[in-house]
This record gives sequence, structure tokens and C-alpha cells, in this order.
Amino acid sequence: MITLDRVTRTFETPTGDFTAVRDVSFRVDAGRFVSLVGPSGCGKTTLLGLIAGLVPVTEGRIVIGDRPVSGAVPPDIGYLFQRDALLPWKTALQNVALPLTIRGAPAAETRERATAWLRRVGLAGFEGYYPHQLSGGMRKRVSLATTLIYGPTVLLMDEPFSALDVQTRNLMENELLDLWAETRNTVLFVTHDLEEAIALSDEVLVLTAGPGRIKATYPIPLVRPRNVVEIRFREEFTRLYEQIWKDLRDEVQQSYARATQI
Amino acid sequence: MKSSRATRVRRRSERLRLYAARAVLFVAILAGWEAAARARLIDPYFVSMPSKLAATVVGWFASGFIYPHIWATIHEAVVGLAVGIVGGVVVGVLFAFSPFVAGLFHPIIVMFNAMPRIALAPLFIVWLGIGLASKVAMVVSLVFFIVFFSTYAGLREVDVNLINHVRVMGGGRRDLMRHVLLPSALTWIFASLRACVGFAVIGAIIGEYLGADRGIGWIVQYGESLFDSNMVLAGLAVLMIFVATLDGSLGWLERRFSHWKQKPL
Repeated sequence: MITLDRVTRTFETPTGDFTAVRDVSFRVDAGRFVSLVGPSGCGKTTLLGLIAGLVPVTEGRIVIGDRPVSGAVPPDIGYLFQRDALLPWKTALQNVALPLTIRGAPAAETRERATAWLRRVGLAGFEGYYPHQLSGGMRKRVSLATTLIYGPTVLLMDEPFSALDVQTRNLMENELLDLWAETRNTVLFVTHDLEEAIALSDEVLVLTAGPGRIKATYPIPLVRPRNVVEIRFREEFTRLYEQIWKDLRDEVQQSYARATQI
Repeated sequence: MKSSRATRVRRRSERLRLYAARAVLFVAILAGWEAAARARLIDPYFVSMPSKLAATVVGWFASGFIYPHIWATIHEAVVGLAVGIVGGVVVGVLFAFSPFVAGLFHPIIVMFNAMPRIALAPLFIVWLGIGLASKVAMVVSLVFFIVFFSTYAGLREVDVNLINHVRVMGGGRRDLMRHVLLPSALTWIFASLRACVGFAVIGAIIGEYLGADRGIGWIVQYGESLFDSNMVLAGLAVLMIFVATLDGSLGWLERRFSHWKQKPL
């Protein structure tokens, strides 16, 4: 479970203080898949950084499970970054194995589990490849395996598929849902793509244009298992989309107007 | 990833052609020099000629005269290189991890780096004598800064994304050092290593040139004092062969340790 209680984050900039998120409160229950949508620059990535303990909060409180996040990265947290963060000097296998290596697991077991995870994300036979030798989609699979191998109870995802082409993206979304059906960790998924948010989640949170606040919360009562491509043809899906889009549209327009003003 | 056989064959023949052209150019320059010297278009007293040079160099190797001198230069360059690299890496790491230290010493480092090293050489000889120590100091004064700047830059320019990635998976300071910072800095240090070797030899030679009793630099200086341009040029030729061999082996080492890098197309 993730709880945010009136969380504010302000950054010092040369032109004065900049508030990225203000008074954000929400809760993600254990085992739920929740998406955060909002226009660009509304502080989505900042929120994930705060939850992951990479950046300290200015005000407010974040609790994961029953441990408050303060000054350190909480244990058992997974974070899939927007740009892939694989270490370029390690092979696919070494990258996937790194979390276990860090935890001091025996070499043989580490190797075996990393190989198994690569197979699970469809990359058997690519163990010895370096990141630059893999396609964007393959690198995302390696990142996903690297994040899931140590069984984090909370998974933070920052527009992980936004750089992929549509087909690869849909494939990866379905694979993510399959994997999640097995692991059932708590997921907070950040995206600016409303369709993706609805197709994947149990709940969609809409953020306002920066400084981000929670504008509305929508439960997504679509049945699982889902196929992210086919679910978009459902009437229910369209209805939800229209409903949430009305909220989001104002924020997107505001954010756009602000960005083009100067 | 793998290029087809046809492209491989074509690339190979292109490479062979390039090598052949280089050899022809080299021979043409030497032949032109020799011919001009023999025809007295240029005075061989001042510029010698390739046949005489070759005879001198071969003679040096045959008589064993040259070996102690090459050894002296290698010794100075290698000791200086080792001290300079270790010092540069240690100070670079210190700078990267302590903004206070970095801020405190930055002006001094910049000042020293701006100083022309050749002007320091006489001082080193006055302070440390004409033996090994003054040459090592000269080499260190050149190598240290190159390694220091690349270590510092390598550690500072690490992708924040990579650091966060390893922090989130539970990595502490030591894991960051081992899996992210060091490999990243190492690519920078390796890139600077070839330049370092060149500078190390130059440092040793300058030191020898200004005051020594052995070394390739000393041969050049001694030849100069006898107005023996043949000896000076032969000394330089030995130096060239020496540096080219070193550079070639380093290039090979570099390729071996950067196998994970993307090759330019």
C-alpha cells in the first residue's frame, strides 16, 4: 500500500522556487494497479521520485506499507524508468542479475534465476548481448526483468512504454498485465496516454496542470484478464474514456497554453 | 549484427588498398629525400639521408649501444606514468566525492595546469638532480592532469538515470562505485591513456634533453652538441619507432576493454 498525505515538493531554481506538486494526497491499496494521468509537466515523474525516496519531500508524508519514506530508498521497491537505465557495460544477463548480485546471492543461483527471467520476458538466447545490440522493445523487456527479479512489493512505472512503436507497445502492455497477474504487486503507473491508463488499471487518477494536484479519481470496473488492444473496442471503455477525457482536456489545454505563452 | 561475406571481403580489400597506398607514400618520401641528398639538392650534412640514418640505427642496435638508453627512457616514462595515473585517479575521485575539496583546490589545479611544463624542467633538474627523479617529476606533471581531468569528468558525467536505477534496486555507495561509477570513469580514463603515454615519453625526453647522462633524449642532445645531424635524426627515428609500437599496443588494449561499446557504422 502506498499513502501520500498532503505531499508538496518545491525545487530551488535560479529564477526562484518552483513547486512541482502541491498538496497531493492519495492511496494505492495493496495489489492494485493504479494509473496517474496528467498533462506534461504536471509533476508525475516528481511524484514517483518522491515515493521511491530518490528526492526528499518538502512537506507532507509518504508511507509505503507501514514504513514512512524518509531520506532513503524503501526496500522492495521497483522502478521502471522512462528512458531505459540498463548499464551499457553489462550484458542482458548481467543487468538482470544485478539486483541479486547486490543482495549477495550465490553466483550459481543468481545466474539461474536471471536466465529464467530473461526466458520469461521472451529473451532466451540474448543473455550475452549488450544493451546497444538490442532493440528498444528488447531493452524494455530486460528492464522489466531486472525490476521484477527481486520481487518488489511496490512497482513504480514512469511512462515505461512511451518510446516504443504502437505494436511493440501493445505487446509489452499485455505482457505486463500477464506478469502482474502472477505477481500482483502494487503498481503505480504514470502516463500521459489516457487509453493506456484505462486499459491497464483498476483506477485512474487525474492530475491538474502544474503544480500537480489530484483532480479526480475514477475506478475502472473492466473485467480481467484484459487484452489492451481489444478492450478499446468495448462500449464501456469508450464511455470511461469520454468521462475522464472531459476532466483531462481542461488540464491539457491549460498546460499547452502555458507552454506556448512565452 | 553480422555483415555478409561479400561486404567483409570488400572491406578487407579496401583496407589492403589503403595499407598499400600508405607504404607507397612512405617509400616515396624516403626515396625523394635520399635522391635529393645524393644530388646535393639538400645538404646531407644538415639533413642526413635515409641510407645513412638506417645504417646508424642498425649499428646502434647491432653494437648494443642503444639498449641502455631505450631502457632509461622507458623506465622514466613508466614510473612517471604509474605515479601520474594513480595520483590522477585518486585526486579525481576525491574531487568528485567532495565538492568542498573540489572547490578548495580547483584554482590551484587550473593554475598548475596552465603552466608550461617545459619551463618547469630546469627547476626539476635543479631540485632533483640529473637522475631518474627529475624525469619522473616531469612525466608526472604532464600525465597527472590528463588522468585527473578525465577521472573527474567521468565520475561527474555519469547518467543520473543509471545511478537512480541501481539505488532503487537496493544498491548502496559501494555498489554504485563498483557497477556504475568506476566502469563509467574507466572508459574516460582509457580514452585518455593513449594521450598519456605520448606525453609520458615526451616528458621523459624533455627531461633527458635538458640534463641527463643517458636516454634517447640524451642521444639527441649529445648529437646536437657535436653538430651531428645524423645522430640527432637517428635518435628521433628510434623515438618514433618506440612511440609507434607503444601506441599500437595501447590501441589494441583499448579495443579489448571497450567491447561493450557500439561500433560506429
